[in-house]
Amino acid sequence: MKHIKRAALLLATVAMLFSMTACSNNPASGSDGKLTMQIWDNSQREAMQALADAYHEINPDVTIEVQVTSWDEYWTKLEAAAGSKNLPDIFWMHTNYILLYADSGMLADVTDLYDDDTYSHYSDVSIANTQGSDGRMYAVPKDKDTVCLVYNKEMFDQAGVSYPDENWTWDDLVDASQKIYDATGKYGYMAYCDEQLGYWNFVYQNGGYILNDDKTAAGFDQPATIDAMKFYIGLQDNEWCPDQTYFAETAPGNAFFSGQGAMFFEGTWNLLYEMKNYPEMQGKWDVAVLPKCPNPVSGDGRATISNGLGYATASYNQDNETVMDFLKWLGTEEAQQIHSSYGAAISGYEGTEQAWVDAFDQFDYRLNVEACIDMFDYSVQSVNDATRPNWKSKVNDEILKIYGGQLSVDEGLANCNTIINEAIAEG
Amino acid sequence: MVAPTIIGLLVLNYYPLIQTIILSFSKTKTFGAMEFNGLNNYIDMFQSPEFWKATWNTILFCILTVPVGIILALLVAILLNAKVKFKGGFRAIYFLPMVCAPAAIAMVWRWMFNGEYGIINAILGVKINWLTNPQTAIIACAIVAIWSSIGYDAVLLLSGLQGISKSYYEAARIDGAGRIKQFFSITLPMISPTLFVTLIMRMMASLKVYDLIYMMVDQSNPVLPDVQSLMYLFYREAFVAGNKGYASAIVVWTILLIGIVTVVQFIGQKKWVNYDV
Repeated sequence: MKHIKRAALLLATVAMLFSMTACSNNPASGSDGKLTMQIWDNSQREAMQALADAYHEINPDVTIEVQVTSWDEYWTKLEAAAGSKNLPDIFWMHTNYILLYADSGMLADVTDLYDDDTYSHYSDVSIANTQGSDGRMYAVPKDKDTVCLVYNKEMFDQAGVSYPDENWTWDDLVDASQKIYDATGKYGYMAYCDEQLGYWNFVYQNGGYILNDDKTAAGFDQPATIDAMKFYIGLQDNEWCPDQTYFAETAPGNAFFSGQGAMFFEGTWNLLYEMKNYPEMQGKWDVAVLPKCPNPVSGDGRATISNGLGYATASYNQDNETVMDFLKWLGTEEAQQIHSSYGAAISGYEGTEQAWVDAFDQFDYRLNVEACIDMFDYSVQSVNDATRPNWKSKVNDEILKIYGGQLSVDEGLANCNTIINEAIAEG
Repeated sequence: MVAPTIIGLLVLNYYPLIQTIILSFSKTKTFGAMEFNGLNNYIDMFQSPEFWKATWNTILFCILTVPVGIILALLVAILLNAKVKFKGGFRAIYFLPMVCAPAAIAMVWRWMFNGEYGIINAILGVKINWLTNPQTAIIACAIVAIWSSIGYDAVLLLSGLQGISKSYYEAARIDGAGRIKQFFSITLPMISPTLFVTLIMRMMASLKVYDLIYMMVDQSNPVLPDVQSLMYLFYREAFVAGNKGYASAIVVWTILLIGIVTVVQFIGQKKWVNYDV
């Protein structure tokens, strides 16, 4: 009996040790022709699968499996995987995290991936979104986006207000909201606590900034930033804008598509999904460029936040030809054209935008998505620095306190400034 | 033959516990790097108003859910033990919440509590922002917690009730004891060991509450500081802010808290739990 016990114990221990080493010794991925690709957006699964299939067509011995996890889980998993050197072969990178991953040496350097001038077909913002702090590229640009104004045409008609156009300013936004509220009793522009789809746009339109150009200091102490924040947060004082407690229960998109409000800011990556998901709303809404700041502290009052994702692989795959070849292919015009044509996200490769626009022809009512493309002319790179994961949620908490009335705008923004500067100082 | 269990415990429970304690004395950086940091995490923690608020929220949640939950569960258990028709059906219905995924439960309740379009406000004919008002948010969470735990506790208590011999009640009836007298003199003392176990388990579960509040109150909700439990704070520190050392200190504190509460209960049980049959 005793011997059996001991043998069992030994066996179990050995098995454990074995499984542990199996974890840390990453076998050369792709050697069996199977690659995994990890993404977080289910509405882009189709496009990713199409890319995987197209690549398989060209290279029949390589099969790519697309895996989707939710946004929150994605980063928790990826960080754990990075720590134990178990990253998926190819994964999406986001501007929020790329500097952290790149600067920690987790990502393969793809600067010299191409012999030709492929990267010159990407805009400066796209390239910047995939660069590490050292200016090298750590991901192949995947897509680019803008933030646009989504509006309910029926409510505008009822209130007798003309549709938003490129001449619209913040004043028109406020004015139209009031008129719509008076005429229909519905909410006007729904301004809620959000950075990329909210206050960042206003701050940069007003000539302010969240981080300075060399990312060494926060900009929440700049008069232009403070002005824009006061304007944006103050919008909720109007009767035509729900307050933050409303948005905590009802996302602005849900409110808009259930006919509760007339306008909100939306990212281009959601438009196709919303067309498909709300068939009864088709033809009743449209998109326009963001209203501009009428009297900016500096600049021409125009800005929209432009973010972009990238395809990345782990640094230990630097010499893995299977992985690197797929990565390389993803950045070619051919792949980017396929990607755009699925309509979920606009490919980074310049000239493939039309494929994205054309994807909206599938609906009876054609959204004016050209407006989203036009905004690339004055788009601003999504705010990021290596310490962003450390300050993002803390800054958000402070802004929520301003909305909740626990802090004045000045106090709250001063706190935000301190939080970011301390995070930068800590590195 | 106990080796598999012991290995499981060692690898899955004790090793992580020790690692967590080590981590709580470290300053962590991303991707698993860390350095010794002495008591700094604890000093930061005890100076943080957010932490004390979370501790109080956790205790308040416990006070709101445990006594009411246990009393209701006992009531349900007694009803299910009585001679009623469709007893099996009722038992299944009461046990159903336990079978549902907590996340799904929270999602449904969240819609029911919605201030604008929720069914609860519609039925009551009031306009309460249940989940966005600092005073009501924790009550709303407590209601859902009680609702989802009654079934499980009731089944435990029911098994206790069924262990009581009928002869006690017969004897009491002959002596002229009424229903109420029977309950307090026979049922309660006889069921007290089961009640004690249920109480301990429910108390621990309440002090560790996380998933329910996470699903009901998301991070854009301004009332978050007023409902955030210790485990929610731990999640936000560890996985949102990436501060795993500090988060581990919160875990160690929570373990201590649960330990203290449990020890107090074990001492207190001598006064009311009856082990002589």
